[in-house]
Amino acid sequence: MVTDFLSYSLIPLCSALAIPFISRKSRRITEILANVTLLSGLINVGYIILHYIIKMDYSSFTFDAFTLLMIFTIYLVGLAVVFFSTYYEVENDTNSNSYYSLILISVSAMCSLVMSRDFFTLYIFMEAISVCSFALITSSNSKNSIEASIKYFFLTFPASVLIIFGISILMLNYGSFDFDTIKFTNINFLTVIALSMIIIGFLIKSGIAPFHFWTPDVYQGSYSPISAYLAGIVTKIGGIYAIIKISQILYNSGATYKISALLLFTGMLSVLIGAFGAMVQKDFKRMLAYSSISQMGYIILATATFSPLGIFAAVFHLVNHATFKTVLFLNSACVEKNTGTTNMEELKGLEKKMPYTSWTSVIALLSTAGVPPLSGFWSKVLIIIALWQSGNKYYAVIALIASILTLAYFMIMQKKVFFGKLSEKLTEVKEAKFQLLIPVITISIIIILSGIFFNRVYFYLEKIIM
Amino acid sequence: MIYNFPIDWFFISILFFIGAYCMVVSKNIIKLLIGFEIISKSALIAVITAGLATNNINLAQNIIIVMILVEAVVIASGLALVVKYYRLNQSIDITKIINLKG
Repeated sequence: MVTDFLSYSLIPLCSALAIPFISRKSRRITEILANVTLLSGLINVGYIILHYIIKMDYSSFTFDAFTLLMIFTIYLVGLAVVFFSTYYEVENDTNSNSYYSLILISVSAMCSLVMSRDFFTLYIFMEAISVCSFALITSSNSKNSIEASIKYFFLTFPASVLIIFGISILMLNYGSFDFDTIKFTNINFLTVIALSMIIIGFLIKSGIAPFHFWTPDVYQGSYSPISAYLAGIVTKIGGIYAIIKISQILYNSGATYKISALLLFTGMLSVLIGAFGAMVQKDFKRMLAYSSISQMGYIILATATFSPLGIFAAVFHLVNHATFKTVLFLNSACVEKNTGTTNMEELKGLEKKMPYTSWTSVIALLSTAGVPPLSGFWSKVLIIIALWQSGNKYYAVIALIASILTLAYFMIMQKKVFFGKLSEKLTEVKEAKFQLLIPVITISIIIILSGIFFNRVYFYLEKIIM
Repeated sequence: MIYNFPIDWFFISILFFIGAYCMVVSKNIIKLLIGFEIISKSALIAVITAGLATNNINLAQNIIIVMILVEAVVIASGLALVVKYYRLNQSIDITKIINLKG
């Protein structure tokens, strides 16, 4: 493990351990502690990153840029979700003791995962994240949420078995499973098998097609702020991060053709299944889940190139996905709270009643579809260029066409839910509370600014691949 | 005692398929969890044999102990989910989990 950033994972853990003891007197103290822990971490890591992005002077930059950026994203989404759930109160109230503790433990586990430098540590923290997610999904105590949690448990269990088998084959081959050992030695047939098993394990955990059957059910059934947390960051750090890391380890080893074919196939399949699946959904959250599968496919396609530009684009698309998907899921949570349903057939014309929710979701969907000058445009264009440069020209063309499909299904969603004539049942709906809008608007501003000032962000991202 | 690596992996694969068969045919969630445990244990034996074959038994034993701990936590959370599911639905039949679909 890298020990530079250890405090980012230890401080949330300490807060999580303190919460059950101090929360007996009032719920408010728990909420304040959880928010302050994540806010102080975000200010700290945000200061380091913004200092370099604004000054554009990297002569004194000694950190691991990839890990630092991932920690920033984890804290950003974690804080947005914790702040949102503080003011998001529904009838069957959650148990605040375990709820905030579990979120903080899972933030801590994710920060530890991005610091790991061998496959064994990666496996341990992936399981820690999963166990926290099982409990968080059921936090609304409804029948749907427990069903989602059981599906998540049983449909992702092959992942851990495959990863352990992969680790054992790496031990047979090298006697070790450090990233550096694999990086500096020859890649033979056994390594390809071991890495393929590990990659398939992490693909199952991240919900990529053809292993995507749990994803829509889990995102639809779970407690609404937790849907945003899972879709925004948890399943991405638990799954996609490891694949980007493997791509970063192997990119100049020369023997990556077979793994590349596996990743290109699953990536393309999930881009198309996600896009076509999203068009026919009737539930708002389920449609966003299919869109998430499709965007994960783009990241897998970028990692499959095993080139510096591909890794660069994959990391930037991961960060962008965390921002725009969090905005969309938090908006769906606002819609569910104020109207009582997420069925898109019953919703219509909410734009007149909820203008801020509507326009932040327009910003997020345009960023997802890759419309300039928003940040999603840059990552998508870089993915397509990386695919073209690495010789996979057909894949580049299909990726380009699928991004039009992305715009199509989001326009269908926006028209059904927000635009058009107001439905008669919804005349008494109000705009969400001001506090619920703060995280959404802040992240929307981040999407716009990182798109406009991409030249500055570019120099930071360049440090990842050096 | 002569150490025979292929025989170890033969038994590992038998154990794996016993667990997989248990998971495929049973409808009871508790039986599914038992099958899950059998499959995980076969994977753990694979790690320990890999350590033995490469004269690296100390590393293998260390990581096995941590992995057993992780498995125990995962199974405990799975059993907690079963208890919660039984309280809400009065049933532990996996084929009745069909409410969420699109």
